[in-house]
Amino acid sequence: MTGMNESPFENLRLELRRGCLVLGVLAQLQQELYGYTLRKALADDGLEIEESTLYPLLRRLELQGLLTSQWREEDKRNKRFYKLSEDGRLVLKQLVEEWRTLDESLERIVREVQV
Amino acid sequence: MNLLERYLQAVARLLPKARRGDIIEELRANLLSQMEDREEQLGRALTEDEQAGILRGHGNPTLVAGRYREPNLGLAFGIQLIGPELFPIYRTVLGMIFGITLAVLSVVIFILARTTHETITLARVLTPLPIQFVVTTVIFILIDRGKNHVLNRWDPRELPAPRREPEEGPTTRNIFGFLCLAVGTAWLALTPRWPYLMLGPGALFLPALALQFWPQWPFFYGAIVALAAAGVVLEFFVLFRWLPRRRARVVELILRGLGLCLGAALLIHGPNYVTSAYRELADWANETFYVSVVVAMAIHAWRMVSELRTLLRDRHQMLPAGQH
Repeated sequence: MTGMNESPFENLRLELRRGCLVLGVLAQLQQELYGYTLRKALADDGLEIEESTLYPLLRRLELQGLLTSQWREEDKRNKRFYKLSEDGRLVLKQLVEEWRTLDESLERIVREVQV
Repeated sequence: MNLLERYLQAVARLLPKARRGDIIEELRANLLSQMEDREEQLGRALTEDEQAGILRGHGNPTLVAGRYREPNLGLAFGIQLIGPELFPIYRTVLGMIFGITLAVLSVVIFILARTTHETITLARVLTPLPIQFVVTTVIFILIDRGKNHVLNRWDPRELPAPRREPEEGPTTRNIFGFLCLAVGTAWLALTPRWPYLMLGPGALFLPALALQFWPQWPFFYGAIVALAAAGVVLEFFVLFRWLPRRRARVVELILRGLGLCLGAALLIHGPNYVTSAYRELADWANETFYVSVVVAMAIHAWRMVSELRTLLRDRHQMLPAGQH
């Protein structure tokens, strides 16, 4: 939610998180999960994400062919389970490489930042 | 779980029809899991306040539905004026306003052209559109500026109660609609024999008017009544669920298509449907009938497009995943 009246930090923080969330979601979905358990798994690893951001994001990633989904009954309830597709696996590998390169570079750069 | 149903209904209202059912089922499963998880932690059932808290945490239905629409769409000139959550609603409202304006303008221009023979320029016709665009856009920019403040002030307990599903059986509204259609058709069928039904006491003056109908008039009038009667029969079958919804839509499409053909034939032969010793009266009757046919055809065309879209949407939803 980017409004003009939000602080520059908040806007930049959201921008920074946006790309990272996709990486986190793709990585987590190497195992099959449905929306709520995925959110819990991400939160358990320290990556909190709003439900209303995560669930539409899953749909978009599926539309892009990075995820596949299927409805299945679990605990007497139909749930939509997502997992990484073949294309998704390839993209995840490339994103992880990109992330590591970025992380190393930024780590070197921010090490010199005086806080 | 009444609050949950209220919430899902509020979200569903703003979702694209083609994906509505699927998204709502997924949201329901996720929210129920979240509520059950919380109940397990507490060791008891959730109170209404606690349920409301979970739903509030999930977000305002307008914003939640907005996030399921096309991402990254918005209006921006250097800075973002209308964000992606409100942009789909803005686009729909703008489309509705333009659609209604163009429909009204078409009828007005048609009548003006036939009655005054006045030259109508394109600029004159299109003048209201930019004004409507600017006003609507400014209103939505203002709403977007204050959306966080406005949209965060909501309570799931104040959302409307879930509506009864139409599939459950005949509703008062459906029965009333069917009765109106049946009475209207009967009135249409009986009027030639008893003009009193249309003209009231004025029917006494009919012989003095010396009305002469167009020779093909009985055939066309009979066809109009037959189509209306077929519509009544169709509504009757739909009312009592004796015809599958999809098949009923196909039949309705066929009837509306026939209605359009009939309307086109009437327009081609018009506008001299009736002559009279009183020329002005005949002109008025002919013009009124001609305009009524145009309006009826516009309504038929609109409903046909709407039914076709519904049929295609249903077909899309029936296809297994991967074939969409």
